[in-house]
Amino acid sequence: MVSAVDRTSGVDEKAAQPRKIIHVDMDAFYASVEQRDNPLWRDRPVIVGGKPNGRGVVAACSYQARAFGVHSAMPSAEAGRRCPHAVFVAPRFERYKAVSRQVHAVFREFTNIIEPLSLDEAYLDVSDVALLGGSAVRMAREIRAMILETTGLVASAGVSYNKALAKLASDHDKPDGLYCVLPGEGEQFVATLPVGRFHGVGRVTEERMQSLGIQTGADLRAWSLEELSREFGNSARRYHALARGVDERPVQVSRVRKSIGSERTFGDNITTPEAMLEVLLSLAEEVFDSLELQQLRASSVTAKVRFADFETLTRSRSVSAGFMDRCIMNRSLPYLLERALVGHPKPQVRLLGVSLSGLSPSDGSGLQQLELDL
Amino acid sequence: MKFSAQRESLLEPLQQVAGAVERRQTKPVLGNVLFGCTDSGITLTATDGEIELCSTTQIAVDEPGSITVPARKLLEICRHLPEQARLNVEVTGEKLVLKAGRSRFTLATLPAEQFPESEPLKGGQKIVLPVESIREAMRATAFSMAQQDVRFYLNGMLVEIGSERVCCVSTDGHRLAWSQVSTDVSPETPVRAIIPRKSVGELTKVLSVAPDDGTVELHLTDQQLQATVADVRLTTRLVDGRFPDYKRVIPIDGDKELVMDTQSLRQSLTRASVLSNEKYRGVRLTLDQSVLTISSNNPEQEEAIDELEVDYQGQSTEIGFNVTYLLEALGAIDTESVRLILKDSGSSLLIVPDGSADCKYVVMPMRL
Repeated sequence: MVSAVDRTSGVDEKAAQPRKIIHVDMDAFYASVEQRDNPLWRDRPVIVGGKPNGRGVVAACSYQARAFGVHSAMPSAEAGRRCPHAVFVAPRFERYKAVSRQVHAVFREFTNIIEPLSLDEAYLDVSDVALLGGSAVRMAREIRAMILETTGLVASAGVSYNKALAKLASDHDKPDGLYCVLPGEGEQFVATLPVGRFHGVGRVTEERMQSLGIQTGADLRAWSLEELSREFGNSARRYHALARGVDERPVQVSRVRKSIGSERTFGDNITTPEAMLEVLLSLAEEVFDSLELQQLRASSVTAKVRFADFETLTRSRSVSAGFMDRCIMNRSLPYLLERALVGHPKPQVRLLGVSLSGLSPSDGSGLQQLELDL
Repeated sequence: MKFSAQRESLLEPLQQVAGAVERRQTKPVLGNVLFGCTDSGITLTATDGEIELCSTTQIAVDEPGSITVPARKLLEICRHLPEQARLNVEVTGEKLVLKAGRSRFTLATLPAEQFPESEPLKGGQKIVLPVESIREAMRATAFSMAQQDVRFYLNGMLVEIGSERVCCVSTDGHRLAWSQVSTDVSPETPVRAIIPRKSVGELTKVLSVAPDDGTVELHLTDQQLQATVADVRLTTRLVDGRFPDYKRVIPIDGDKELVMDTQSLRQSLTRASVLSNEKYRGVRLTLDQSVLTISSNNPEQEEAIDELEVDYQGQSTEIGFNVTYLLEALGAIDTESVRLILKDSGSSLLIVPDGSADCKYVVMPMRL
């Protein structure tokens, strides 16, 4: 059942120059921000998340807390039992976002090809960057130093020729680490790693693999694509490549979107404006959350109404100066709905949608002046 | 045209009308001031096509006539001549010659016929108001006008004249200023007019030099306003648009109220503003039992924290503002203490002078 020589390895690295990818990961980010802002907590276990007497979970914890077996996503109550003397703090996302923006400003000194994974993690493609002699390792070293200098926080970085390896590399010497996997070393590097560390191998898959005797990259490497396909279906190709240190995914700069929206189709048509407004308002909340998450601003809100006969109407409102805030959006919806329902005295509505358009990036200040509803 | 006058009697009317002179002169004649000399005196007129300022002064004229000359050049010359200097002005050929002592200036002219003089206003109504009341209502609100907003009707001031009261409102969409004064005047029909931003500035200047106990005559038509104060007359186009229903945005549901010393609050905000983000000017107001904390920080990680003792026992709350909006509102309030009424970090703040219902300032928060 062990496959013979596999000739598909290294497909992405054969022709062109290997890429240079840096994965930067802030160490215990939320907890470190709290420790930085509250010097008295610096040497203490700090747990960011729900209160230990509540039902919340740990969002992040300092290394001092990890020593007690606390980890993120653990119920706060459990964390409280394991580490009763820890400092529990509620997350301050605005604060973390602000720091994250500073970190991104450092990234932009090197490249604009940045793919953020979360507030504290990002991939950078520096293949075509000539700075520091074009050395990705030197750039990673400089990025870590600049992050420390501007934010007082420690980041780990991994350097390699693709995203998967760069991410594994940043984890390799964490915290406060910098590790590089050179072209040609990828397969050897992943061979010793437990498969649970691989991107896309979650807890469930990890257990499945272990039950099949796959513990490490080397174990996985021994399986052919066909064999993996039988066990893992569509994911097989990805695992097959990972075991060989191959990952062709490009670093994706968040694409420019024209609008963000959400719609809901109803099993039974809804007929009262009150019920419709309720749906629109909840869709709008969802859409606005997603707008904020992507650090965007919108200047227009559009409501979409599809009637039982499939006639579809959209009604929009724009803010001529400044940006849409939640309040203006919510106050616009009744008015947009009213306009859409004109001429439909007995509306039968099968779909409702809300979208925000006229998008532009938030300017990075995190400050947003709210508008009077004139 | 020929006359002679003391420097001051020419400088003063020149200064009064110069504000209307077009800066980016689309037509050369709009950069000029019109001299209209008759046997009874001299009328100076300047216009940019939207606002016209006219000032009449009693000067003995030797030879009547009309001519236009570059306004700013003439103003600068007069300004820098010695006080009380005697000026001799005469048009010879296509030049205007001004002599004062051993100084002599020859200025280019354009014929008076090229100058767009306004037609007299037709119809409308005339209202005579005490200078002091309209001046006060305008002063208290002018700072909130929008500037080059696409909502063109916000680039000006709403003036409402109703029975026994004058009310001024301005807003840039982020904050709103409202002020009213009582008068003993009631117009035939209530007035609701939007005065363009530039005209508000010029009218304020005209009113500022008028005596406190003087009156201003307002002639209002659907499209124009003419204000006459003593020898000065301002004519302006009105903004043709609907001012938003401002009453709707003056909050009435604030449940947290503070009375504070105006000066202490201003000083504290001014201190905090030093370390606020230079572009966004955000400050954070944190209200706790008995303490109002004003704090700010900037991208350089600098931080200001300023605490003020307050008589407050309600719920704690935190709310961000553009500090400039707060300072400008407080700057317009002349009572010793102010009342702040707020609800939450997403709702507007109402600032009113303590013990007066004549001014209201509404400021929308800033999300920090």
